[in-house]
Amino acid sequence: MQSIDDVRRILLAQVADSQEPREVLKAKELKDLYGKISNIDPSERAAFGKNVNDLKNDLESAIRSRESILQDATVTSLDVTAPWDINSSEPELLPTEFGTKHPLTTELDVVIDIFTRMGFEAIESRQIDDDFHMFSALNFPENHPARDGYDTFRTEENFIPPAHTSTMQNRVLKDGKAKLEAGGQIAAISYGRVFRNEDVDATHEHTFYQCEGIFVSESATLSDMIGTLRAFFESYYGQSLKVKTQPAYFPFVEPGMEFAIEKPASLGGKPGEWLEMLGCGMIHPNVLKTAGIDPSKYQGFAWGGGVDRLVMLKYGIEDLRHFESGKLSFLRKFKS
Amino acid sequence: MIISVNWLKKFVDIDLPIDELAQLIGARIVEIEEVVDLGAKYKDTLIVRVVECAPLEGSDHLHLTKIDDSGNRQDVERDANGLIQVVCGAPNIHAGMLAVWLPPNSVVPDSYGTTSPFTLTAKPLRGVTSNGMLASAKELALFEDHTGILEVDKNAEAGSLFATVYELDDYLLDIENKSLTHRPDTFGIIGFAREVAAVLGKPFVTPEWLVGLDPMYGDKADDVASLSVTIENLELCARYQAVVLSDAEPLRQSPLEIQTYLSRVGVRPINAIVDVTNYLMMLTGQPLHAFDYDKLVKVGGGKADIHVRSGRQNEKLELLDGRLIELSESDVVIAAGETAVGLAGAMGGLNTVIDENTKNIIVESATFDLYKLRSTQMRHGIFSEAITRFTKGQPAELTAPVLAEAVKLMGEWSGANRVSEVIEAVGVQTSNKPITVTVSRINHVLGTSFTQDQIVNTLRSVEFAVVEDSDKLTVGAPYWRADIHIIEDIIEEIGRLTGFDSITPTLPTRDFTAVSPSEFDIFRTKLRNSLVRAGASEVLTYSFVHGDIMRKVGQNVDNAYRITNSISPDLQYYRQSLTPSLLNIVFPNVKQGYGQFAIFEINKVHPKSTGLTDENVPVEIGSIALSVVNTKELAGAAFYKAKRILSYMTTQLGISLRFESVSGEDSSEVLAPFEPKRRAYVVTEDNVKIGVIGEYKKSVAVNFKLPVYAAGFELETSKLFNAVSQKKPSYQPLSRYPGTERDICFKVAAETEYIKIEAAVNSVLDQTELETNLQPVDIYQADGTQTKNITLRISITANDHTLTAQEANQLVEQVSRSVTATAGATVI
Repeated sequence: MQSIDDVRRILLAQVADSQEPREVLKAKELKDLYGKISNIDPSERAAFGKNVNDLKNDLESAIRSRESILQDATVTSLDVTAPWDINSSEPELLPTEFGTKHPLTTELDVVIDIFTRMGFEAIESRQIDDDFHMFSALNFPENHPARDGYDTFRTEENFIPPAHTSTMQNRVLKDGKAKLEAGGQIAAISYGRVFRNEDVDATHEHTFYQCEGIFVSESATLSDMIGTLRAFFESYYGQSLKVKTQPAYFPFVEPGMEFAIEKPASLGGKPGEWLEMLGCGMIHPNVLKTAGIDPSKYQGFAWGGGVDRLVMLKYGIEDLRHFESGKLSFLRKFKS
Repeated sequence: MIISVNWLKKFVDIDLPIDELAQLIGARIVEIEEVVDLGAKYKDTLIVRVVECAPLEGSDHLHLTKIDDSGNRQDVERDANGLIQVVCGAPNIHAGMLAVWLPPNSVVPDSYGTTSPFTLTAKPLRGVTSNGMLASAKELALFEDHTGILEVDKNAEAGSLFATVYELDDYLLDIENKSLTHRPDTFGIIGFAREVAAVLGKPFVTPEWLVGLDPMYGDKADDVASLSVTIENLELCARYQAVVLSDAEPLRQSPLEIQTYLSRVGVRPINAIVDVTNYLMMLTGQPLHAFDYDKLVKVGGGKADIHVRSGRQNEKLELLDGRLIELSESDVVIAAGETAVGLAGAMGGLNTVIDENTKNIIVESATFDLYKLRSTQMRHGIFSEAITRFTKGQPAELTAPVLAEAVKLMGEWSGANRVSEVIEAVGVQTSNKPITVTVSRINHVLGTSFTQDQIVNTLRSVEFAVVEDSDKLTVGAPYWRADIHIIEDIIEEIGRLTGFDSITPTLPTRDFTAVSPSEFDIFRTKLRNSLVRAGASEVLTYSFVHGDIMRKVGQNVDNAYRITNSISPDLQYYRQSLTPSLLNIVFPNVKQGYGQFAIFEINKVHPKSTGLTDENVPVEIGSIALSVVNTKELAGAAFYKAKRILSYMTTQLGISLRFESVSGEDSSEVLAPFEPKRRAYVVTEDNVKIGVIGEYKKSVAVNFKLPVYAAGFELETSKLFNAVSQKKPSYQPLSRYPGTERDICFKVAAETEYIKIEAAVNSVLDQTELETNLQPVDIYQADGTQTKNITLRISITANDHTLTAQEANQLVEQVSRSVTATAGATVI
């Protein structure tokens, strides 16, 4: 009888040549090997059986790839330069009413539009970054426990899918330095996708969207920050709003706080109901210094908040997981 | 972290209702996740005296008792003496004891607030009525205790409320640890109370025993025990103090009230010795550890010689929880002689654990490098209360007063006596330097107008030392505020303690320069809108994919950035193109009953092959991909449907594109899903390849269960944007003169590409002064023939006169000649 390796070589060669590769599984050589399993010494039986099974798995994967080659070979080529196929006519577009814009991008556009009108430039945030931009440039020392709160993913090369859009802060500050020193101001938002390594449920996602803002000048104050944020939300909700803050700790701001608004009437809010919207604070002098900006001369504020939350509140969306699900049943509820 | 309001009240006078207190703490100190009303579960729980206690007839362990509640409970059956009959099975029941009674119609505290609360009744048991029950510590939701019912250790009146006597009429504030990462002092009740006092405007006095940094350690009974401490690497440990106590009684419990305080904040009472260490940690934030002295001497080779050092290669330690860990050189280890006896700051070793035979103990009060400890915490997965506090950075000053208090309490609660000097070793220490700040600077950052007095008083309310020199303030932070380093820290204190919300919002002043949305953003919005008008639905899919998704389309997984710590295999790799993610959601939508749809995504992709930027981070590629499918097979190949949508999109963007078949090998990952015979490069007028369009490979269709009619494209958005932004508007004035249309039918070999004919036509049309427009009309191939007929329509107009038939004929003639010559066509 032939060894398993011999059989493997023979049968794989047959698969490679066959027009009906699946027939190879019925080969006598394979049946013989299976027949042999029960006769073999019990101490070797398990190992032998496993080898035979491995062979069968190898054959099956070779058969699948051979089958797809055979199938792909049946494909005829077509004239890619023609406007339509032979003996047919110009294809129709899909019905316009099928077309839908994703609610997250729609909302992001609204947010960007308001901030642009308020004087902020908008840039998209990176989706892969390094430790320097994600942490060190933002005054998170190596091994600092404040890093724990961010549950970051890492790649083999130690790149980081950013856990906040603040990953752009150092770049924005560096880019704006010249303008600042020429007597201007830095006013920018960065927006985009961020990632946290956490379990997904109706209110938690590993992938979500944030919008971050930065304002630096010679005279930016904490009262300016509260006023700016309130102005944004008043514009967004189209009504005057009460706001409040809670002290909070983020290493890249000092003082740092969380910012809440009284739930707007348009969302069915009642007085005394508060919505936490974002984290904010005066930019830490170390962050300015790292970007080459003199903290004794310039001061600024920064904030960052989730975009998904705005969308969920606006439409009453019950489950965060819908956003990245690609479900048409969800998407087609949002007519553009 | 759980903060007990009653515990706070021992240090600060709180007279606010709980909701106002919680609101104030939230606005000025830290966000509160939840306020729990602890008292609610004890509202019917009474302390009673067991007056009579006799074995219950017919049972080998039950007792029939008569209890006295001073007549407090109304709805219960009493005997002639006013006593209440309760059957009890606990072995420690005895007449004369004070016990805790759960009357009929009350809910067992342990089940309170759960989905199945257990309400007690008066029920017959072996022929007698038992009214409610006498409760164990577990039933009272306090802690696990197997000795029986809880014995009240205070001299309380029978009938008094259990919750009042043990201060369980309490509110618990649940606070996320990470919200206070920067405030080690608030990880002790005393530190938190100091903050509460400041925001309430109440006086606060740090307890006297905590103020003295060079305390007395109480009487020394004997000098029988010798002890030495060495810090081998001074960076590891700022200060290490230890003392030996003897005659500790390991079976003694701490006072019940202390046990209830520990358990309400989430710490399990163990015995008096361990409880002292935990109690003082919860009170001050300074963790302590107790070793069995005799065990430590034994493993240490005959003497108590403590070393604080780094872990060694191949060194192992069995922890208190029974886990055997391999130590790393980044761990800080407590060793007796050469033998590791503890993972510093994290957990003690099993080889020196306190047990029921322990007589002599070593109490450790120390502080370690927080960064080392944090890496230890991550490496070994230890999240104890102690390491949580150490990794916030406890000040070295704190070890002495807390150790002195520990010696005192261990004497009181466990009978232990000090039998050694307090041995101390010091490492590298930092201390708070005074910070100088002006009043105007503070107001300039906050946008406020606080007076100098307001500022000085606020700082002094949290025990900061302030020296005034005109408007210049020199501020010294107390030692427990290791977080105060810079002027901004002082500014934060002022803003926070006076309330950020009392600051009047203003708007920054800025000039009137208009800010324009970026050109790319405008382009992207146009792009999105054009596809939506073409009937496509925008989707967003994850940036990470399972390796199988890439394998299914034939992409090389090694070219993808791999995530090493993902919680889910679905998030293994950064994707290299968008198309696989789109294909992955086609079938679920088909299954939902959608027979005809197009989906598209505009997002970023990150194949390794594109390399790094000058910042050494991966280049990001902006991409747009679309897939169109139909579960019915339509006339013509699906390829042309995708092409139709793409052409519509580019027309809307004002550019035109060419399609070149992919000749030769191209292994780029974006092409992988597409069938070689039915795919084309998408090329701009400037000959830039911007992407691919095509039908999917059969194998891909099988793997993703795609309908037979499926095709799509994927383009780089930045290249598309370049093409669009280079395009100038090219408006031609309308002609006032009528024109004409001519159809021409060319017969060519079946394999002749359409573009060849179109190009031949255009080469003529481009030369003429006349305004022309070329449209395909028909492409026909009869069954079994090797030729096809292509019919084109040319519209012709002149700008300055009415076109003559002769002019039109002449042009058509030229066109026919050109096509005949270059494409081997015959005109029919």
